[in-house]
Amino acid sequence: MRKKARYVNEDLCTGCGACAEKCPTTVANEYELGLGKRKAIYKFYAQGIPSVFCIDPNSCRTFQGKKCGVCEKVCQAKAIDYKQEDKILELNVGAIILSTGYDLFDATRIPEYGYGKLPNVVNAMEFERLLSASGPTEGHVERLSDIRDHHLINTTEKKLKKSTKSLENYEKKHKMSSDDFYKQFTAGNISDGDEFPKWAKQYENVQEGTKKLEELKAKAEKFDIATRLAFIQCVGSRDFRFNKYCSSYCCMHSLKEAMMAKDHDARTEAYIFNMDLRTVGKGFEEYKVRGAEQIGLHYIRGRVAEITQDENENPIVWYEETTSQTTKHMTVDLAILAVACEAPKGIEKMAEMLGADLDENRFFKTDPLNPLDTTVPGIYVCGCAQRPMDIPESVAQASSAACRAAEVVAGG
Amino acid sequence: MNKDILIIGGGIAGMQASLDLGDMGLQVHLIEKETCIGGKMAQLDKTFPTNDCAI
Repeated sequence: MRKKARYVNEDLCTGCGACAEKCPTTVANEYELGLGKRKAIYKFYAQGIPSVFCIDPNSCRTFQGKKCGVCEKVCQAKAIDYKQEDKILELNVGAIILSTGYDLFDATRIPEYGYGKLPNVVNAMEFERLLSASGPTEGHVERLSDIRDHHLINTTEKKLKKSTKSLENYEKKHKMSSDDFYKQFTAGNISDGDEFPKWAKQYENVQEGTKKLEELKAKAEKFDIATRLAFIQCVGSRDFRFNKYCSSYCCMHSLKEAMMAKDHDARTEAYIFNMDLRTVGKGFEEYKVRGAEQIGLHYIRGRVAEITQDENENPIVWYEETTSQTTKHMTVDLAILAVACEAPKGIEKMAEMLGADLDENRFFKTDPLNPLDTTVPGIYVCGCAQRPMDIPESVAQASSAACRAAEVVAGG
Repeated sequence: MNKDILIIGGGIAGMQASLDLGDMGLQVHLIEKETCIGGKMAQLDKTFPTNDCAI
């Protein structure tokens, strides 16, 4: 087993976060699925256990050979250790439990849904982060195109400030207003000096930037919370091109996300496009009924064929409504794809290492009568490594797998 | 035979299995590829069917 280097001493780090506050490097945050940012020294999420920070050598300035070392300076616990190395540990164990989980289906594999191309088509996990009070939007369900434009306003403002400052410097130096200078420069009255073309260019930048900023701000004034939501079910599952199986939990998470969105903003209208809503589980059917009758969610029976967008980047969902046998379309603020649960990348390598077999869907192969036993004695599997399942089922399987493993080491 | 148990993956299933085995008094080694345990569930906002907070 390889224990990866954190470049932070676990025994010394107190998890105070002073290092991440001062770290000059920001990169996309994997925990927020790229919707938020994190520093090069980071904790996966705020409540994460162990509460120890970790340096990402791929983005840290020190590891890229640049001058930095800020975290080392600010760390009062003296926990930063750039020289830490990966350690190989050898473990001798009596039993193994595989709880390797799953990967989300990559929705770009279905080009007709426009994921990755249309800004306001998101997957369910991204929507989950948008709903979260600790997420990138603090729980406000905003359209991704609005988030992008807000970001653009910030960067344009910063650039403009810099350019305006350099104009002021030129004005002071040459005792001339930039407007006058530009008129004379373009008329060809003054051409001497290396600085003049630079000044003119900077002046043009400011003019362009101001115009762009005004346009963006006018657009941003109309931005509102996304209230028309389309949930598209079975994206990558129950689809013979990709995965034939049902991912089992997506119907429930779409119902939940629609309910939560309605809870955040009562104006929300949520449409769930489904083949059938499979709410199998204790209390699940009642949950679905409550969603329709008390919360006012709309369930539409029909598979979505395509998603396009209008001039305001609002997704247009094209679908067949099977109950009325008509093809229809609907414009919404956000389209949320309930992506399939797939066996994780690298599961083949792990199976080969352990000598365990995989089934036709790349999950660990088990016997119907011994659902936790892999094909290797003493190696057990639980959770989504076995097949797609929801949290209550995963927890139940985990406890069972723990008992199976305990039986082995207890000599039973 | 060695009585230690190895658990690969520190998501909700791996954590539950570790806790159960720990309560039985067994030594557990829990491996997680990320810097913190929690897995996908830690990314969720609420969980069905009770709409409880995930973390």
